[in-house]
Amino acid sequence: MSTERQTQLVSTQSSIGSRATVAIIGLGLVVFAVSWLALFQWIGGETDVLGVGLFRLLGVCLLFIGVGTGACGFAARSGRIAATPRRSAGLLTGVLFGLLGFLVGGLSGAQTFGLGTAGWLVSAAGIGTAAATAAVFPREELGSTIPPSVFVTFVGAVITAGIIDAGWTWTPVDLSVTLIGPVVVPLLTIVASLIGVWSAAKAHSGFGARGRQSGAFLLISLSILGMLSVLVLLVGFIVVRGLDTVLTDAGVGIGSITVLNIQIPWVDVQIPFLMNVTQGLFVDVNGILPAIVGTLWLVIGAVVFAVPLGIGAAIFLTEYSESERFTQLVEIATNGLWSTPSIVFGLFGLTFLLPRISNNHRSLLGGQLVLGFMLLPLVVITSYEAIKAVPDEFRDASAALGVTRWQTIRSVVLPAAMPGIITGIILGVGRIAGETAPLLFVFPRSTFPSSVPNVLGSFEFSLAPPFVTNEALLSGGSALPYQLYASITSGHVPGQTFTVEQFGWGTAFVLLIVVLALYGIGITTRLYFQRKLQHE
Amino acid sequence: MSKFDTLSTRVHRHRPEDDGALAVLGVGFSCLLIAFVLFLTGSGLTAVPFLGFLVAAGVGWIAYQPTTAKWLMFLATVVTVMTLGLIVAFIVREAIPAIRMMGVDLLIRTNEPLWGSGTFSLAPMIVGTATTTVIAMTIAAPLGIAGALFLSEIAPSTVREIVKPGIELLAGIPSITYGFIGFVIINGFFDSQLQTPTIGNYFTVGLVIGIMALPTIVTVAEDAISTVPESMKSGSLAVGTTDWQTMKSVTIPAAFSGISAAVLLGVGRAMGETMAATVMIPHTKGFPSPLFDVFGGTGETLTTVIAFEGGNASGTHMSALFAAGVILFLTVLTLSVASQIIESRMQRKLGGKQ
Amino acid sequence: MSDIDMKQTRAESNEQRTTTTVGETEEELQSEWSAYEFDGQTKISVSDLDVYYGSDQALRGVSMDIPEKSVTALIGPSGCGKSTFLRCLNRMNDRVSSARVEGSVTLDGEEIYQDGVNLVELRKRVGMVFQAPNPFPKSIRDNIAYGPRKHGDIDTGLLARLLGDANPEEEEDLIQRSLRQAALWEEVSDRLDDNALGLSGGQQQRLCIARCLAVDPEIILMDEPASALDPIATSKIEDLIESLAQEYTVVVVTHNMQQAARISDQTAVFLTGGELVEYDDTDTIFEDPNSQRVEDYITGKFG
Ligand SMILES: Nc1ncnc2c1ncn2[C@@H]1O[C@H](COP(=O)(O)OP(=O)(O)OP(=O)(O)O)[C@@H](O)[C@H]1O
Ligand SMILES: [Mg+2]
Repeated sequence: MSTERQTQLVSTQSSIGSRATVAIIGLGLVVFAVSWLALFQWIGGETDVLGVGLFRLLGVCLLFIGVGTGACGFAARSGRIAATPRRSAGLLTGVLFGLLGFLVGGLSGAQTFGLGTAGWLVSAAGIGTAAATAAVFPREELGSTIPPSVFVTFVGAVITAGIIDAGWTWTPVDLSVTLIGPVVVPLLTIVASLIGVWSAAKAHSGFGARGRQSGAFLLISLSILGMLSVLVLLVGFIVVRGLDTVLTDAGVGIGSITVLNIQIPWVDVQIPFLMNVTQGLFVDVNGILPAIVGTLWLVIGAVVFAVPLGIGAAIFLTEYSESERFTQLVEIATNGLWSTPSIVFGLFGLTFLLPRISNNHRSLLGGQLVLGFMLLPLVVITSYEAIKAVPDEFRDASAALGVTRWQTIRSVVLPAAMPGIITGIILGVGRIAGETAPLLFVFPRSTFPSSVPNVLGSFEFSLAPPFVTNEALLSGGSALPYQLYASITSGHVPGQTFTVEQFGWGTAFVLLIVVLALYGIGITTRLYFQRKLQHE
Repeated sequence: MSKFDTLSTRVHRHRPEDDGALAVLGVGFSCLLIAFVLFLTGSGLTAVPFLGFLVAAGVGWIAYQPTTAKWLMFLATVVTVMTLGLIVAFIVREAIPAIRMMGVDLLIRTNEPLWGSGTFSLAPMIVGTATTTVIAMTIAAPLGIAGALFLSEIAPSTVREIVKPGIELLAGIPSITYGFIGFVIINGFFDSQLQTPTIGNYFTVGLVIGIMALPTIVTVAEDAISTVPESMKSGSLAVGTTDWQTMKSVTIPAAFSGISAAVLLGVGRAMGETMAATVMIPHTKGFPSPLFDVFGGTGETLTTVIAFEGGNASGTHMSALFAAGVILFLTVLTLSVASQIIESRMQRKLGGKQ
Repeated sequence: MSDIDMKQTRAESNEQRTTTTVGETEEELQSEWSAYEFDGQTKISVSDLDVYYGSDQALRGVSMDIPEKSVTALIGPSGCGKSTFLRCLNRMNDRVSSARVEGSVTLDGEEIYQDGVNLVELRKRVGMVFQAPNPFPKSIRDNIAYGPRKHGDIDTGLLARLLGDANPEEEEDLIQRSLRQAALWEEVSDRLDDNALGLSGGQQQRLCIARCLAVDPEIILMDEPASALDPIATSKIEDLIESLAQEYTVVVVTHNMQQAARISDQTAVFLTGGELVEYDDTDTIFEDPNSQRVEDYITGKFG
């Protein structure tokens, strides 16, 4: 059967072919990156680069890329680039280029040539079909280079010729938006550079299975890179803007505190934004201390309420529950609870809790319980997973010693599962600390609070039911996420120091730090324990 | 656990302590039941039986710890399940007046007046939620799946070790923060540069929700993809396929249910997203005309209307908001159950082999 | 640190047992394997192969030539690096990020560990069957046709029919031929469209062999192909391996020494620490081994 094939293991790519494709990919990546910068308007479209405007330069680059990929296709066809192409570029490629052709045909028909509905439909269908045909019917090396080449060259030409430039605008019929050059040009160059890069990457690996892989991997990696940069950018934005606000009037001085009549020198850190109340007669830098303390109390309350319940339920499910059905029911309920939209929890708190615990007044206790209800499923799910991950041998070993089940759980299972449980709780707390929606109807009292809740000092005991009362728990307050919401929606902030935006960035920054710190701790502990387990 | 079962039948001979434990716990649970009923009726005396429960539980804990612990944990489980039941019961109860008054019009009324002055139609908000969800998922689903593939199959391990926790971290950014950025930057840009009629529209909202849902989809889909056994992938690679072919023909089909569960979860997230949408959307009720004009001047979703108006609504108006909550809740619950069914099916499929 | 210490002590105890130093052992090994000469053509030639997983060394200076169209058995105690060695021959170790391979492996004289080697091409020529059967959760037909379809040799898809070069008969032929070669045809010919996961363990393993044969390799690597199977299924696989050696070069790892003696033409013995201790005709290895350690291992004195 095994015929004497002498396929070479190493396909020697001609150095010219390989260099050409690498050059095209490199150029494409540069266009891709610069286009993003231009889209975010960090570089203006008219910026002078090498004597030409940026957009025009991008257009010229695209022309090179377009012509280059086409040339690669023909070179591969004539054997000047080593390639193992398939019979066709594939149906999916065909469909995608068909759609692209349809878009180009339709838009240019309607926009440039001002054709009516029938007219642009005809031009769209025509160009779409042509593109699909050109992609599917020739051999792969042509099918996956010629349509991209035509498209990229076309976009390059349109931009180079200035048909679409920085001053270009277009208001599509039926859409209430005006598209402008500084947005459209980068978008076009991003799409075109991606397509060009894809085609060149295929050519670089000689088409066929390996070419497809190169093309696909490059596209996927680039889009993930783009996505990550956007997300990192968001965080960076908040940090930069937020720090500005937080550090307003901040200072470090040498103060002193008096302990037992002795003056002790002390580093006196002053960060007014974190240490002042939000609104008050003698406050010149408005701070968010009430919101910080509010969030703290909310989280503490939620944890006290939800953690014992959650861990208890998880232990019951893993160690005691004997009915498969019951476990399943609880699992479905827990997952349902977990995915319940947060605003629904708010409604629930409004109708169920407030009338019963604080006489229909918004209250800290209400907020704590609502967040506790949100935290509950998270604690159950993560504890359940953590306890289930404890190997059965632990339990067997303990049971073999004649230890009762409850003692086994207490002294073997729980300690082993604790890292997982704690991690889950930290992550869960991170999530609820940032929640606004469930609090909206049960907690906020004033938009800009002037005092800090004093929970510890407000306990009062009596002999008549309900025996214990706490004024601070029964009145509302503010929390970090709510404070951010309030300053956006109210459109003003007290005092002269900050604008709404500055105040917002500051609050967003503090909130982000609180939440990300919790997440960071949670994720790191999890990684730590995972590593430790692996090494054992 | 089966080992325990045999063990427990051996240990569970009748002992006198059992009677004591039963008595104490019986008292405790009766107290708790009374407390719960009193709490439901809003009585100020709730604390009395609750104190009784605490005392009974305390006594039980000291005297009969194993039994008490077991029943307390059972209680915790029941509370968890009951929470869901209470949520359903109470928001449905509050929604009933609006349903009574409007009938099916609550869902389908499309002509003015839509909202206020005695009529409340949720149709515009349903359209709004659908629109933003579609936009969000158009962005988040493909990118999320690509991201999951990238993390589990393409990225070198060093990159994965940095990026994966990073993405989880991003999933933790509070939605109000996204909302603030969307409000200040994206809404501002569309308003000043692209001349949209209102500050904020379905497109900007959908865009931001999509970005928010991304990390969730990436994480869940990545988990699904990494459950595909290495032996299956090796089997494919060993006949001389590329990694990409293996991904397309073996890994993705095998993880398909898990990936779709991730997308469903993402849809649920996008639909339930409240704060970012609330601060970004213009809160005008109506239907875009034509329906695909996502930049138009109308904008309101089920979540935003509740969050925006819930603070100072009353009567039928408030009831209509509860009805919006019911619709949301039921839809998301359905999605959650569906994704769980899909996921367990996948486990069974892959569980068939080791 | 403690790792290194442990390795050193292990190396020392090895030295004591063989009463030679490590360096001498290696030289001795060299002479042993080069002493083995065979008639046929050399298909694979391995020289000075070292493999590390992180800082652990799994193979130490392994060198051997594998003749074509024969069965070569690899035996040795668990953890001595047999699988690692096998996975070096089709570069499946590239999947393990911590693995590092040094040394040279040539296939028909061409180095497979050089830059720019086309792994697709390599693995088409060097097929592999795994310890546990790993069929895809697809139909039997799709399992067999998987490789050829991916390589573009066979195409029955929509596009191929559109372009008029679909070759369903060829696919049918190939499936039948591969299944017959793997001695599975009789059992599954009437249910080619059933899910392969519905087959028994032994059938699944033969399906995996058929899947490997369908891409027409020159070499077939098998890692304990029968370890998960019952005696009847095992003997079927053994027969199959012997018949495959007519046309293919087969390298098979086994724990079962009788099996190695029954089916192989030559046998390589690896011992703990990842060294190739002896490599010779199977008869010689089992009847008159050169090295005392090999004799001990084969007679079950240590393992
Ligand atoms: N992926 C891996 N990462 C780290 N170490 C590995 C890995 N695979 C194998 N090893 C180590 O390399 C050594 C050789 O392993 P290998 O699997 O090749 O042994 P083997 O001879 O096939 O054993 P067995 O007969 O049990 O299959 C062992 O010490 C093993 O622990
Ligand atoms: Mg092995």
